[in-house]
Amino acid sequence: MRYSQWTSRALAAVLVLGLAAACGDAPDEAPDEPEEAEMPFDVGTAGHVEGMVMYEGDPPPPEEMDMSSEPDCDAHWDVTPTRDVVKVSDGHLGDVFVYVKEGLEGMDFPTTRQAVVMDQVGCRYTPMVIGAMTGQTVTFRNSDGLLHNVNATPTNNRPFNLSQPVNMDTDRTFTEPEVMIPVRCDVHGWMRGYVGIASHPYHVVTGEGGSFDLSDLPPGDYVIEAWHSQLGTQEQTVTVETGETAQVTFTFSEDMLNTAVVPLGDPIYPHRVDQADPESGHGAHEHAPAARTLTSAPDVR
Amino acid sequence: MRDYLRHPFWQAIAVFVASYVLIKWGIPYIPPLLGFSSAMVPSSVIIQYMLTVGVGILVWVSDNEARWKRFKEPIRNLLVRPERRRARRVFLVLVPLLMAFVTYDAVRPKVTAPAGLRSVHPANPTSITVNGETLVLEGLENPFREEGREEEGYELGLEIYYQNCMPCHGDYLDGQGHYAHGYNPLPLPLRGGGTIAQLTESYVFWRIAKGGPGLPREGAPWNSAMPAWEAFLTPEEMWAVTFFLYQQAGISPRTWDEH
Amino acid sequence: MAGLLVLPNGGPLTAQEADLERGREVYDRWCASCHGVEGDGLGPAAGYMLPRPRDFTRGLYQIRTTAGGEIPTDDDIMRMIDEGMPGTTMPGWQDQLSRRDREAVKDYIKSFYAPFETMAEPEPLDFGRAPRATAERIEEGRIFYDSIECWQCHGDTGRGYGSSGPELEDDRGYPIRAVDLTKNWKFNGGGSVEEIYRRLRTGMDGTPMPAFSDLVDAGFMTDDQLWNLAHFVRSLAPDDRPRVREVIRADKVEPGQVPRTVGDETWEEVEKFFIPLVAQIIILPRWFDPAVDGVWVQALHDGEEIALRLTWHDRSQSPDPAWMQWQERVLEVMEPVEGDPVEPDPRPDRFAVQFPPVIPDGMERPYFLMGNSERPVYLWQWQSDRDGAEPARARGMLDVETLSGSIEADAQWEAGRWQLVLRRNLEPSDSEGRLHFETGTPIPIAFFAWDGDNAEEGPRGSVSSWFFIYLSEDPPPSTYVAPVVAFLLTGGLGLVVVARAQRRERALGGGTTGDPDPAVHPPPHDDHRDDGADGGGDSGPEDDPRPPP
Repeated sequence: MRYSQWTSRALAAVLVLGLAAACGDAPDEAPDEPEEAEMPFDVGTAGHVEGMVMYEGDPPPPEEMDMSSEPDCDAHWDVTPTRDVVKVSDGHLGDVFVYVKEGLEGMDFPTTRQAVVMDQVGCRYTPMVIGAMTGQTVTFRNSDGLLHNVNATPTNNRPFNLSQPVNMDTDRTFTEPEVMIPVRCDVHGWMRGYVGIASHPYHVVTGEGGSFDLSDLPPGDYVIEAWHSQLGTQEQTVTVETGETAQVTFTFSEDMLNTAVVPLGDPIYPHRVDQADPESGHGAHEHAPAARTLTSAPDVR
Repeated sequence: MRDYLRHPFWQAIAVFVASYVLIKWGIPYIPPLLGFSSAMVPSSVIIQYMLTVGVGILVWVSDNEARWKRFKEPIRNLLVRPERRRARRVFLVLVPLLMAFVTYDAVRPKVTAPAGLRSVHPANPTSITVNGETLVLEGLENPFREEGREEEGYELGLEIYYQNCMPCHGDYLDGQGHYAHGYNPLPLPLRGGGTIAQLTESYVFWRIAKGGPGLPREGAPWNSAMPAWEAFLTPEEMWAVTFFLYQQAGISPRTWDEH
Repeated sequence: MAGLLVLPNGGPLTAQEADLERGREVYDRWCASCHGVEGDGLGPAAGYMLPRPRDFTRGLYQIRTTAGGEIPTDDDIMRMIDEGMPGTTMPGWQDQLSRRDREAVKDYIKSFYAPFETMAEPEPLDFGRAPRATAERIEEGRIFYDSIECWQCHGDTGRGYGSSGPELEDDRGYPIRAVDLTKNWKFNGGGSVEEIYRRLRTGMDGTPMPAFSDLVDAGFMTDDQLWNLAHFVRSLAPDDRPRVREVIRADKVEPGQVPRTVGDETWEEVEKFFIPLVAQIIILPRWFDPAVDGVWVQALHDGEEIALRLTWHDRSQSPDPAWMQWQERVLEVMEPVEGDPVEPDPRPDRFAVQFPPVIPDGMERPYFLMGNSERPVYLWQWQSDRDGAEPARARGMLDVETLSGSIEADAQWEAGRWQLVLRRNLEPSDSEGRLHFETGTPIPIAFFAWDGDNAEEGPRGSVSSWFFIYLSEDPPPSTYVAPVVAFLLTGGLGLVVVARAQRRERALGGGTTGDPDPAVHPPPHDDHRDDGADGGGDSGPEDDPRPPP
């Protein structure tokens, strides 16, 4: 049966390219109006938070991804791709979701209009971690032209499991704040991504340099949290004053790799509790609910 | 039509056919409509019943001289009347053909399983040894019932039942667990009046503790998939599950407490 | 059931509260042992089943008529309660609980997930009607199956052996198998083409099966094409679930014509007998998640040799390194851990056919689970990492002893399926513990299967109960002679009766019957009439004078 897969896939791709061209990508056409129409505070009084996420110690050795089951993806990479779960360069930690956890209660921010894109390239989520605001369009893009499914398993939001057998964009929005929503592809078990949803625009994902920037915050006291998929979370309190830039530094370290409890909307099944939290003392047979830290705001509907 | 209904020959035929229909299909299918359980009548029993019916009919038709004569009339007509010639010939061919077919069916090599007769509830031994302790079954009571630890027995029994027994005996104790179809004989349904409702708790305890391998020969121990639960459970746990079965199946008066 | 409901003492309940209370009673009694008192899917029996019972607190339902990710309609939940979910441990409750109780349970189940209260009940999708299945539609569906890569999980042939298999997990991280599309009677949401189409449209939330509605909505594929795909998927399974028959018939072929290989075309004509296999949960250690759920058996003999072709579906050719992680995961989640803990290990696939050492006279035979110390069984054992198969004697599953000699075997794993031919002379090489096959008599037979990549070995595997194999023989001449004799005897007797009746009629009534019936006088039948009729010299016991008609 395989003989026809490639031909039929090519046919489908041609068909789909035509359709995609006809349909166009909706999110790109949006921004006609000015963005920050009605912020719930006087923007003139805003201050800023700048910071850096550091990593101490040796990052775990990169795990090679075996893509042999998907020759197209295997061929996409010149060198065997690795699972960069702890992305460190020069002591700076990337792929950390940093957001204002407390301090903005009661404020109603306009939805960010720009869509945020999580692309699938060479059977990897690019970027692996994204942040979005409630109501903001999140576009899941398939640039590989082969079957991916986007299986999101949030807790506060409704889950979905999209099929993307061809190059295509599928838009979704999330109604509830949630840190973090795991996304995976069941076809390619190595593909794991994370979407953080905040009720406001003050969130950012660190790049390779580990630096972040939360600008135009109303003055006040805040709890800022940094979330990493393997190293768990850290919090810092910070005071923002008008026109000033507060500095924050988060430091994760090697020994957190084995002890961190990573808050995910997704409950981790009981048998993994032992690994995640050796002190909890749960036996393998105990059906204790997974250690789960829900960092998102309570139901605001 | 009326004439036919009055005629003893046709009456006899009608009674015979109606009896057959009633025995073959009426017995299994009518009682369930009224809420009683029933089952198909085995063919050997059908033959016996039909013989009885036939004899009864013969007694009736021959009981009175005139009726007997009238009864014989259609037969005689078929045998001798010239205007029945065609029917006569048809009979002379059809009946032997039918006999030939019946004979063929009887002598042809058949691919059927040998009859697996077994006693579903064979006689229990007088005593059994469980966990080193010898228990005399007669008069043996379920400690959970005897000591009034009913709540405890139910809770413990429920957990044990659904972990261990449910795959075969079913969520609803109806013998239709998800692995039931693979075993022969099929797992026993535990609810209803026909099974454990007729047994003492000590008997059920014996069946649980010793399982299929503990059956006497007439119970066909080589076929039963019932494990000997003494290898898995303590006597306390087996008593609890025994208690639970009655409770959950609604056989216990406590659960089926009618208003 | 009315007697069941005991309302707590105290203030009067509103109708809704009473209903919820009733739901709780029924739920705690019949549902909680799997789904948990808290509705979290962690009841005491949950660890003994895979897939695990649904966690109602997440509001995630596989089988819906609503779009992917949406909550189900009330009817969707009712359907699952009523009909259960084939292929899982969830039974249907339609005939078990009253309508009112089921409704009450449905409402109670919804109460575990708060958004049911605030969210409006979604509209079911409009699924339209199934177009008629045609060869063209099925072919087009096949092309779509290939192009949208359903085979990544379900495999080219649909037998559920796609390359993603070892990594698949459900919403809670438990291992899950891509369904074998050739066994539609195990589809969780039902095996009809309409039900398949619905699963394609809505996806199966909580499983890796994604929804295709987006593709239709975005115009990437048409609704019609999705129907074609559904028709193709339906066409992978037989029209009806295979019937289980107790006796496997081994037809007789010409001497020397017993096929030796799995690929021999002779097999295509041979009837298949489906034997269900279920978990070995009778002795320690038990195994509640067997991968092999049935085997198709074909058998032939030529009076000298007997050959069996066994066909069963298996997602991998064990030991397959890609499936090591599946082993790890399945061992981790499957309770109970009975006896020594089991480590993931490269294990071969295995199969065993069981016979009694001698054909039993009565109905007594060895214990079906590989015999016992008193009555051993005779086995043909095959495993995927060795050539041939070997005879063995077992006195229980844990006491298996290999016998000398070998059983001819030819095996092939292809596209999610094992085929295995086992062959031996009817007469054993050595009578010690080995069955002498006889024709024309039912011989007990049973089957065992192990999927090595599912960590199966020893008592952890699938078993069957005793079945029979019957080696056909040329029918004895009596088979054909007896009916002819019966025909002649009955016919002759009939003629005698008619002739006698007519003779008597003539003697009594003198010509009332008119001319004698030629039917009793035709030349070919004369002999018979004469044979039987000359006893008729006697006047018969009938002495009642017959009145003229």
